[in-house]
Amino acid sequence: MTDATIPPTTERSRGVVRWVRRGGLSTLIFFIPLLASFGLFSWWPILRSLLLSLQRTNFLTSEWVGLDNFARVLKDPLLLTATWNTLWFSILAFVIGFPVPVLLAVFIGELRRMRRIASALVYLPVIFPPVVAVLLWKAFFDPSPKGVFNTVLGWFGLGPVPWLNDGDLAMPSIVLQATWASFGTATIIYLATLMSIQTELYDAAEADGAAVSRRFWHITLPQMRGVLLVMFLLQVIGTFQVFTEPYIMTNGGPENRTVTILMLIYRYAFISGDYGRATALSVLLAVVLSALSAVYLWATRRWSTS
Amino acid sequence: MPPTDVRKFAAALSASAAAFALTTGCGAESPSQPGSVSITVAGQPTQENPDQLKAFKRKITDFTKANPGITVTGDESSFDVNTFQALVAGGKLPTVFYVPFTEMQGIIARQQAADITGHVGADAAVKRVNPSILKVATSPDSRIYGVPVQAYSMGLLYNRALFTKAGLDPDAPPKTWDEVRAAAKAIHAKTGAQGFGAMTKDNTGGWVLTTMSYAFGSKIQSDDGKQANVNNNATRAALEFYRSLRWDDDTFGSDFLIGYKDITNALASGKVGMIVQGADTYTPVVQSLGMKPDDFGLAPMPQAPGGLGTLGGGSVAIINPRASAEEIKAALKWIEFAEFNKYNNEQAAVTGAKAASADKLPVGAPVLPLFDQATTDRYLTWVKDYVNVPREHFAAYFDSAKTLPLVPEPAAKAQETYGILDNVVQAVLTRRDADITALLDDAQKKVQSAIDAG
Repeated sequence: MTDATIPPTTERSRGVVRWVRRGGLSTLIFFIPLLASFGLFSWWPILRSLLLSLQRTNFLTSEWVGLDNFARVLKDPLLLTATWNTLWFSILAFVIGFPVPVLLAVFIGELRRMRRIASALVYLPVIFPPVVAVLLWKAFFDPSPKGVFNTVLGWFGLGPVPWLNDGDLAMPSIVLQATWASFGTATIIYLATLMSIQTELYDAAEADGAAVSRRFWHITLPQMRGVLLVMFLLQVIGTFQVFTEPYIMTNGGPENRTVTILMLIYRYAFISGDYGRATALSVLLAVVLSALSAVYLWATRRWSTS
Repeated sequence: MPPTDVRKFAAALSASAAAFALTTGCGAESPSQPGSVSITVAGQPTQENPDQLKAFKRKITDFTKANPGITVTGDESSFDVNTFQALVAGGKLPTVFYVPFTEMQGIIARQQAADITGHVGADAAVKRVNPSILKVATSPDSRIYGVPVQAYSMGLLYNRALFTKAGLDPDAPPKTWDEVRAAAKAIHAKTGAQGFGAMTKDNTGGWVLTTMSYAFGSKIQSDDGKQANVNNNATRAALEFYRSLRWDDDTFGSDFLIGYKDITNALASGKVGMIVQGADTYTPVVQSLGMKPDDFGLAPMPQAPGGLGTLGGGSVAIINPRASAEEIKAALKWIEFAEFNKYNNEQAAVTGAKAASADKLPVGAPVLPLFDQATTDRYLTWVKDYVNVPREHFAAYFDSAKTLPLVPEPAAKAQETYGILDNVVQAVLTRRDADITALLDDAQKKVQSAIDAG
């Protein structure tokens, strides 16, 4: 049979055969689980939230309402409170939570013996299930004189402190717990980075008579810069999405002083059953976080080339 | 791969997906014989209560025997704010589902329950439900969206053991708010426990404050649900009562970020003497929290001069809004059979009570008469051998139920209103200098704008 007599369909099927022979099919087969799981559990929900944010729905019938949900979210006086609270949490988490693991990692890195035990101990809080850890800390923060922290303060003639019951202290108390719960992971990551720094650099600095602080400033920090920048970005994204801690410890109180953006989304969706507003606020948060990440990445790229 | 291949692949994929869906029955109606209908019903007890489960299954068998065209499948799901919307969205809401009174107006506003008005005949049991209770399941335009199956009212709950320890008579609980305050002082002074307690978060702070406002003499919203009336003298007086117990007497404890579980735990374990709560709390505190039945005290909600009555609570059976007319009819039949048969049929009453008492569940727990006093009394006579609740302790509560009016919840945006009032309660209890009038002024504006937003 010559090529000229081959009908068009056979020609097409030969293309398929060629594609299969070149490994196209196996590529596709390996790709399907990934595509299906991401598609089903990540991309479809994202797309669905986008659609929901433009609808008013009771999950039986939906009507398109344009940007009405966004307008209602932006008009909610609680949005400003929640935004400020979330920012305040992020700032506090940065001030309290960011330097601690760096310093701890440097300290553990300096240990000659017991390094493994020290890193295991540091990581210990992370293995607590979050809800258990939060409930445990809630008991520590018991405002009565019999509370754990207040008992300790009592030994020094101080307190009792209302902790979570005080509008000014509630958020710092939550940050304290959140830092405790998460510093282990960051410390281990920093420690791994530290271990990969070439020891010759330190040896040379030491030979030149550089003190510990100068070695930290001129070798450790610059070598860790890449990881520090990534961890900072992750922390910003993470802290902007804080939910579990305030939800369990205060549920936003007292007087909405610990209501965060994610808690507001939760309230819209589950307390008011208003998924339009909940998804609209989620979309707004995603946009802000994406913009922040983009600016951050752009800035850090500029810094690293300059 | 070339675009045509992608298209072909996509077509093949969707074809096989469709075939899969068809063969598994996913997304397709299961074939049913004409005249037959299948319903799923919530309320199936879990394996931990084997006798109840057995009784429930027997109920299904008896029902299907009497109604051969109806197939009934039990379902263990129960109401939870975190999962309800998902059940609706996923089409997994059972045909018959139970929701608390406080959620009903929101569900009606969002049209997430079937309108059963047209299916309720003049002789239906629903029509005999006490009108002030049926109102909970009725929309402002008088359409019926559910069948109340259990009702209770808010009262003063107290720990009888603590009362005795404090030298108070547990059989003569406080009748006025001044007496509540005095009892709180006595409990705190003699036992060290917190005298009085109130929830403050998860909208429960506002819910109880609303009940307190009714008891002090004012509703917090106009009856048509259009006008917020949070800033009124009764609510101010209720908050002033909170303030004096917290800051003048120090009998209100120190933690003001607490919800239902915290307060019921505190009551059951003798850490707090008195709370304002639903009478149905008897079941969770005795069954799950190990409170001795004899320690549970329940008094009518104290009323200030001009008090309006008390707030009601309970459970409403709703029907899936996707249900067909036949399914609604079958579901209503089931609800009457499963929930009301015990009031009409001695054998059904005894069977149910026997199973509950075998599983050590309360029989005769304090609830309000759903229909009328005579029906409830007749039921209690039938099951008297199985009653394991010390009802004699609640005599005053039962008496008050005959006269104390049941005041409904705010008609519009009840949950949002409660949420806003949570903050007011938290402010008064956590800040000594809290300005009650200014707080209520602010809350009034917020509630009104929530109502106006629709």
